[in-house]
Amino acid sequence: MGAIDTLLLVVGVVIKLVVVFAVAMLHVAYATYFERKVIAHMQIRLGPMEVGWHGLLQPIADGVKLLFKEDIIPAKADRHVFMIAPMICFFAATSSLVVFPFFEDFKLGPYHVGGSLANINIGLLFVLAMSSLGAYGVVMAGWASNSKYAFLGGLRSSAQVISYEIPLGLSLVGVMMLAGSLNLTDIVHAQSGMWNIIPQLLGFSVFCIAALAETNRTPFDLPEAESELVAGYFTEYTGFRFALFFLAEYMGMLIMASLGTVCFLGGWNPVPGMEKIIPGGVWWFLAKVYALFFMYYWVRTTLPRYRYDQLMSLGWKVMIPIALANIFLTGLWKVYFA
Amino acid sequence: MSGLIKKIIPYEIAQGMALTLKVWVKGLFDPFRKQEDRVIVTRRYPKVKRPAQPGFRGLHALARDEKGGMKCVGCGMCAAICPSKCIDIHTAEGPDFKKYVTGYRIEVLRCVFCGLCVEACPYGAIALTEHYEYSGYTRAEFDYNMIRLLENWDKYMGGDKGKKYFENFWTPKKWFFTGGKPVSPVSKIAGGETNAG
Repeated sequence: MGAIDTLLLVVGVVIKLVVVFAVAMLHVAYATYFERKVIAHMQIRLGPMEVGWHGLLQPIADGVKLLFKEDIIPAKADRHVFMIAPMICFFAATSSLVVFPFFEDFKLGPYHVGGSLANINIGLLFVLAMSSLGAYGVVMAGWASNSKYAFLGGLRSSAQVISYEIPLGLSLVGVMMLAGSLNLTDIVHAQSGMWNIIPQLLGFSVFCIAALAETNRTPFDLPEAESELVAGYFTEYTGFRFALFFLAEYMGMLIMASLGTVCFLGGWNPVPGMEKIIPGGVWWFLAKVYALFFMYYWVRTTLPRYRYDQLMSLGWKVMIPIALANIFLTGLWKVYFA
Repeated sequence: MSGLIKKIIPYEIAQGMALTLKVWVKGLFDPFRKQEDRVIVTRRYPKVKRPAQPGFRGLHALARDEKGGMKCVGCGMCAAICPSKCIDIHTAEGPDFKKYVTGYRIEVLRCVFCGLCVEACPYGAIALTEHYEYSGYTRAEFDYNMIRLLENWDKYMGGDKGKKYFENFWTPKKWFFTGGKPVSPVSKIAGGETNAG
């Protein structure tokens, strides 16, 4: 491999990184817009209407506003930890994007264009590891703020993420067993005949609930329960540090929706029977991600928050046994039918 | 058994989800509906204004008579009944030995909009208009003098509006509101006319 090839490789990777990051940030920005819109319509309101046509420029206005806000660090806060925490959150959430296969690999002239930025063999494990790394940022923010609300939010978040990491991981074990691989591209390929949601319906329901808890969304938004903890772990944050937490939360949603799409909804594969009309590609992937996003909004607007002990008992007494049973059933199926 | 099934299948959650989805789908078709048939209740206030309800008590105005002058004779009944004491009237004797109103002042910020002044006035000279969008940066802006109060009448009670206002909402005085010429209620009763309201 010559120097030119290496250079081309590096340039290609950088271009892909920038494109994926930009598209993901755009999705995150408009996820907030559509969340406000969908929730508003479900509550017989209009939602953002003033900035641009039907409020379409609202996320940009919000972003600009947050950029120009004063950056306040409380006097008694642990300065360095306080400053690092939102970056950890954001980094952990964003880095998972690297392994997702958005479309099938194809050849462009002499070059091989990969559907993901890094087609690594432990993709699924990488996503799980990075999503739990985000909890560190939350805990550090809660601790460093030196505020009781932030502290309680951080504690709740750590306990919740630890509890729900287990059912989340276990629900994906069934997927790994069916695909026989941790590589996300292989997992998608294994679903070209039948999506995992059919044999893994139990796993998918556990995954959806655990993903809600993992991303601190209603009905499991106890770490940032605004009626109890002001804003939870980021109570003391302002300006762009606050925005980083916000972005990290929505990026986490994007990651979880992508993970659900890749592991259960067949990734870029088209709906069976529609291959002739719309061939498989990134549009199918996005459509499924949007559907899962809609589920997030829909659940948020409908359900009230769980009490903390209910959250814990649901996680440990219901979700984990169901996930284990799912693994057992998948094993039986693998042994006797496949 | 049914309790167990309800526990396994989150029945109530499904009900709630169905409700929100139904409302959402209904609201999506709102742009194609007429304003009055819309599901979404939000009114985009500065752009879409809500018409004031009949009898709304807004900003004050002093009624004009037919000649364009002021109906007020300076009797001071409104100031006497005003619970927040926000009306201030000054009168003086004119060259023709008649009583003239030289100053009429309402501090709108102190007013409680009870409407007692309108009821108390024997000449239908003070009114509460339907105008409610007034704001300012100083207290002085809300200190309405005679000229500004008369302007309010022209602006918000012009034409038939003022007459209708007194006729419809201040019925006790309906029968002595004759537009220009104030008629004493006492003489009306003495004249044998009955209260039509």
